[in-house]
Amino acid sequence: MKIFYVFVNIILFLALAPFFEGIIRKLTARVQSRQGPPIYQPYLDIMKLLGKQTVISADNPVFRAAPIFALASILAVIAFIPMGYRETALTGYADVISIIYLLTLGGVSVLLGALASKNTYAQVGASREMVTMIMVEPVLAMTFILGAVKVKSLGIGATMFSLSSTGFGISAGVMLVVFLMALQAFVGKQPFDIAEAEIEILEGPFIEYSGPGYAMFKYYMMLKQMFYASLLVTVFVPFLQTGYYLVNIIVQLIGIALVFVFIALIGSTNPRLRIDQAIKYYAVLVVMAISAVGLSVYGL
Amino acid sequence: MKAENLKTTLEQNCGKSITAIDSDTENRLFIDVNRDGLKEVALEMMKQGARYQMGTGFDNIDRDGTLGLMHHFAYDKDNLQVTLRSSAPVSDPVFDSITNDVPSAGWTEREYIDLLGMKFTDHPKPKKLITADDWPTDIYPLRKDVPHDMVPPSAEDVAYQIDEAPEGCDIIPVGPFHPSLHEPNHWSVFVEGETIRGADYRGFMTHRGIEKLCTTQISYNEVPFIAERICGICGSVHATAYSQAVEAAAKIEIPRRAEFIRVMMLEIERLHSHLLWLGVAGHLIGFDTVFMQSWRVREHIMWLSERITGNRKTYGMVIIGGVRRDFTPEIQEDTKNILNQVEAELKTIYSAIKGDTAIHKRTKGVGYISKEDTIKWDLIGPVARARGVDIDVRRDHPYSIYNELKFDVPVFDGCDVWSTVLVRILEIFESISIIRQCLDKIPEGEILYEFDDVVPPLKHAISSVEAPRGESVHYVITGEENRPERWRVRAPTYTNLQGVPDMLTGDQFADFPIILGSIDPCFSCTDRVEVVNIGSGNIKTMNRMELENMSRNMKKGR
Amino acid sequence: MVLKPGVVTLKYPFEPMPAPATFRGSPTWDHHKCVGCGACSNHCSARCILVRDVCQELRVMLYDGSRCTYCGRCAEICPEDAITITTEFELATEDTNDVTERMELFMLTCQRCGRCYDMENSNVIERLDLRGYRYDSLETRALIRTTTDQLDQNMLKKTENYQRPTKKG
Repeated sequence: MKIFYVFVNIILFLALAPFFEGIIRKLTARVQSRQGPPIYQPYLDIMKLLGKQTVISADNPVFRAAPIFALASILAVIAFIPMGYRETALTGYADVISIIYLLTLGGVSVLLGALASKNTYAQVGASREMVTMIMVEPVLAMTFILGAVKVKSLGIGATMFSLSSTGFGISAGVMLVVFLMALQAFVGKQPFDIAEAEIEILEGPFIEYSGPGYAMFKYYMMLKQMFYASLLVTVFVPFLQTGYYLVNIIVQLIGIALVFVFIALIGSTNPRLRIDQAIKYYAVLVVMAISAVGLSVYGL
Repeated sequence: MKAENLKTTLEQNCGKSITAIDSDTENRLFIDVNRDGLKEVALEMMKQGARYQMGTGFDNIDRDGTLGLMHHFAYDKDNLQVTLRSSAPVSDPVFDSITNDVPSAGWTEREYIDLLGMKFTDHPKPKKLITADDWPTDIYPLRKDVPHDMVPPSAEDVAYQIDEAPEGCDIIPVGPFHPSLHEPNHWSVFVEGETIRGADYRGFMTHRGIEKLCTTQISYNEVPFIAERICGICGSVHATAYSQAVEAAAKIEIPRRAEFIRVMMLEIERLHSHLLWLGVAGHLIGFDTVFMQSWRVREHIMWLSERITGNRKTYGMVIIGGVRRDFTPEIQEDTKNILNQVEAELKTIYSAIKGDTAIHKRTKGVGYISKEDTIKWDLIGPVARARGVDIDVRRDHPYSIYNELKFDVPVFDGCDVWSTVLVRILEIFESISIIRQCLDKIPEGEILYEFDDVVPPLKHAISSVEAPRGESVHYVITGEENRPERWRVRAPTYTNLQGVPDMLTGDQFADFPIILGSIDPCFSCTDRVEVVNIGSGNIKTMNRMELENMSRNMKKGR
Repeated sequence: MVLKPGVVTLKYPFEPMPAPATFRGSPTWDHHKCVGCGACSNHCSARCILVRDVCQELRVMLYDGSRCTYCGRCAEICPEDAITITTEFELATEDTNDVTERMELFMLTCQRCGRCYDMENSNVIERLDLRGYRYDSLETRALIRTTTDQLDQNMLKKTENYQRPTKKG
């Protein structure tokens, strides 16, 4: 049964991540008073990119391997997380630290891909992505550590369901606020799309990619978005559990859709910040996250 | 009167260089100086508080074997425009450069080094400005013996030498193709980490040879149509400035109704341009919603223009002697309704932007250039008005019927990009009020002046018009055969671009697009000129055949 | 601000979107009314109306729509009102012949002096500059500004395939 859950996870995420991305694009367009692309547009984008020719602009194997690493790392994370409040077969084999590791691996492979090409714009984009990662990953880590402190274990299932077992406290409330504020930075949308999607100003780390490599990176971004949204729903809204697996899944998906609506609305009503302004913002977030963990140590 | 004072001061201090002073009307002064005294007189005029507008070089070889050079200055507080005329024999075309003291003359002098073969002593940076890198250096396109459609053979492996970067800096190339630039041009930005330390510019890639074309192939009344296509957005401005210059040279007065219609078209263009800029600025800081919403409001104006003039942007209304189409009462009703709608929607957008702290963070303190530097570089338009320099051609050198209209000129002290945003938004409200005043006051009458006589040849005239980006100056020397002998266009971006490296230093690289965008660059206005075509392997330039195609694409792209 | 206008995307090209009546689209010629004065060619800002006198009686006028800027000067100037500005703007095509119009006019004992034009038009600045026999190169689409009083066979041969100069003088 648990093996089945692994496949359900992967298939669910692969199938629905572009759909949620489509919701973001459609909603952004409506805010801008225009019709926008159809909701299934990201599927068409990925299919088109898979059919295009790859232009290899850098000779080293890192360039070709980087998108594969990224996609592989995010799929690994997805295989672990307990969707529908049921642990999958692999959940027991990993813990919080390895999830943090795998997520960082995804970001590092983006950096590797960018630095493997010798393009100036890619290098600038990579340096921004690096800075963003350094500042924002701690918030993610703190979310997990908060759960770990509460249940005194590092297992994924226990930490993610920690709030249902120990109840909401002040620390969890602070953490929720911090997570919401950092959500835009996690998924790389305005006001924080400084490194990833800054297509207008500097092409960013993906400038040298085309065809299937780019399709894999795009897919990686979409899956990452959906993962963070599902993390929010799973950890912070635990009281939606019913006993049935399928109903849980559907309820969680609706929750994820609502989170995406929130992302889209904030994304379309804010300009992009500069990296130095964003760093100051992230620093505040990190401090708040650490204080939340500190509060939880005292049992609050 | 300031003109009298100026005459006496100049005669006192540099009397021996001045050969003649004469004035057309009370606001124009033409001073002839001999070659050696040119720099001295120019510096004297700057000391009296003049603003350097532009320089004009022309080929007088058939008449007296000389190349002429003129420098134009303006005294904004006194509504006075002064032209210094001088010439040098074609065998020894050397002039003294005034760039070291008047920095904004730098590009003008480089232009004539390329195009007429003049030489300037002590010029700090005598590099190629306009012609392509493989254009043969002994062919001077603006001289009359060069045919207008010449194609010299092209060369490979020729490149422009970029300035040296300062110590410890990397060079980030921006352009010729880059999403934040509207037209092709190349900036080499010297960065240290993320901070900009300087920049070098290689532009004039959309140079189309308009000035040469219009002095050899086109007759008087077709030039406004080409002038309109110098720029997608300020088309009417160039057509109006040219027509006003020729009308001043021919000493005719056009019907009042035509003046009112011209002013209305100019202000509609200003509305359109500022709304477009608002969208572009929003896009450059990453705020696509502002972009879409302000361009949605702009659509109303384009539909209105389509009903009035027959075209969404290249209005084609202005010719010498008046305008081509009339404002019927239905159109006037239409205009009033659309203006009300635009004003209401703009108020919503304005209140949304004014308080948005995120936008403040991206634009306040960015692109700083002090008021003294602004005056030193002779910057104009909203760029100068955002830095406390109170100049506006509509009020200082009133042309057409602006002296009968009441309007305010918004000036702020912020010295940064946020102030330019505020200046432009407030100017939109002022334009709406100007159009309403025109609609109330417009008299009945003719719209076109019929010429009974030919335009007298070899008359000089200068005309400046406030484009949405600043002051646009046209200088016309009328000629025989129903076409101008020399036509010089100086678009506002020409002057403003020279001040951009100063604005860039010290800021973060991410702000490069918005700083460049804050001067509202219109590179096609800047590049317009002289040389006709080149076929080249390296740099993409336009030839005469592609002129119309390019302008059509420009219109749609905007 | 967002909710009031709703979605403003137009359904064009899936629904037709006609232009207003005053729109300046492409010009069309009425060959019954045209007298072959050449004023439209003289005043075309894009220099895309070309005139060539292939022999004493025959004048060919060619309009090359690929370079037209739709300014409407030709229609304003025409003394016989033979040119109408339509509201056509959907002119994209792969074949330039679709936008080219070519008229061959039989000029009866005409001296090409421009009097037929001058009698209708009194504005001196709009005078006809190119009177006489015209030799524009139709093959290479170049406007030649030399005209002669009598039909000159040498000019005809010289301008058959006009090439742009590569050297000065």
